[in-house]
Amino acid sequence: MPSTETSELSPVAPPKSTSRSRWRSMGVLVVLAAAIIVLLSQGILHSLNYFETVDQALHQRALLGTRVFRIEGVVKPGTITRTSSGASFVLTGPKDHEVFVDAHGSPPQLFQSDIPVVVVGHFTSPTSLDFDGSQILVKHTATYIAAHPHRVKAPNRTTR
Amino acid sequence: MIKQLSQRLLGPVTLLLLVLTFWLGLWVTPPDRIQGNLVRMLYVHPAVAWVALYVSFGTATIASVLYLWKRTRSGTLDRVAHCAMEVSVVFIVLTLITGSIWGRPTWGVWWAWDARLTSTAILGVLAIGYLALRRANDDPVLRARRSAVFAIVSAINVPIIHFSVQWWKTLHQGATVFTSNRQLLVHGSMAWTLLLSFLGFTLLFFWLLRARYRLEVLREETQRATLDLALEMRQREGAR
Repeated sequence: MPSTETSELSPVAPPKSTSRSRWRSMGVLVVLAAAIIVLLSQGILHSLNYFETVDQALHQRALLGTRVFRIEGVVKPGTITRTSSGASFVLTGPKDHEVFVDAHGSPPQLFQSDIPVVVVGHFTSPTSLDFDGSQILVKHTATYIAAHPHRVKAPNRTTR
Repeated sequence: MIKQLSQRLLGPVTLLLLVLTFWLGLWVTPPDRIQGNLVRMLYVHPAVAWVALYVSFGTATIASVLYLWKRTRSGTLDRVAHCAMEVSVVFIVLTLITGSIWGRPTWGVWWAWDARLTSTAILGVLAIGYLALRRANDDPVLRARRSAVFAIVSAINVPIIHFSVQWWKTLHQGATVFTSNRQLLVHGSMAWTLLLSFLGFTLLFFWLLRARYRLEVLREETQRATLDLALEMRQREGAR
C-alpha cells in the first residue's frame, strides 16, 4: 500500500501550542478575575470599613436611622447584665459618648468589661440611643501581657 | 564547604527551632491576661502569615523581577519563583486556617469580611492563579515570562494586606509585633517565643523551597531523559 506509507511519512503541521496556550491563559485569567470580583464584592458588601465607632455612629445618627450596621466601642466596666436572650451593656467611644446595647445570642468566650467589641445590629428607633444587637464580636488588641493567676501560693500549695 | 554545611544543617536546625517554639509556646510561656491560653496561637499564626506574605511571596516576586531583567534571566530564577509560589500557597492556606481557628474563640466568628481577611483571601486566589497560569502554557519561555509578569502584578496586593489594618477599620488586630512607633506590644518570654517562631517558620520555608526546587530539577531531568529515549527509539525504528 504505497499511498498509505507516503501519507505517514509526509510532514505534518506543528501543533498550534502558542494559540492554545493563549486561550488557556485567557481562560485562567477570566476565572481568576471572576473569583477576585466575588471576593471583593463580598468585602465591599460587608464593608471594608468593618464598623462605625460609637462616636461616628452618633455623629451619623440621623443617617443611620434603624438600618443594620456594626458599631464598635469599649464595654463600660460594671454595666454588663446577663439577660435571658444574651447580654446588655453600655458601649463607650473615645470621646466618652455612650450607647446602651441589648444583644441577643451568646457572647463570645472573651466577652468581658473594658474590652473593645463590635456589635452587629441597629438602633431601636430613628431617634433612640438604644442599640439592638444580634451578634457580639470581640475585637482584641495586639497587646499581650502575661496573666499571673498562680503568683501567690499558700504553704498548703493552694492559690490565693 | 560552608554552603554544604548550611544545606546539611538547614533541616535539623529548622526542626530544632520549631520543636523549641512549640515547647515554649505550649508549656513554658504564661497565658495572656485577656486571652488566657488562646494566646498560644500567637506562636503559630503571625509567623505563618509572615512567611506566606513576605518571605515566600517576596521570594517569588524577586525571582520573577530578576527573570524579567535580561542581565539576570535564567531558568533557575523561573524555577525558584515557581517553587516559592507553590510553598506560598501552602502558607497562605495555613494562614487562613490558623486565623480562623484563633478567630472563632476570640472574635466569636470563623470568618469576617474585613479588609485584612478579604485581601489575604485574594492573595491566595492570585497565588493559585499563578500556578494555573503556568499549567496553561506549554512553551517554557512564554510560560516563564507570563508567570513572572503575573507574580509582579499580584505582589501589589502584599502592601495592601500589610497596611489594610491602618487604612481601614478592621476586626483583625493591628500590627502584631511592633506598633507604627516601634513599640513592642508582646511582653517577656512571649516576645522571645514569638520571635523564635518567626525564625523557625522562615527556615521551614527555605527548607521546603530547597526540597521543592530539587524535586523540580529531577522532574525536568526525567522529562528530558524520557524525551531523549523516545527520540532514540524513533531513530532506531527509522533505521530498521
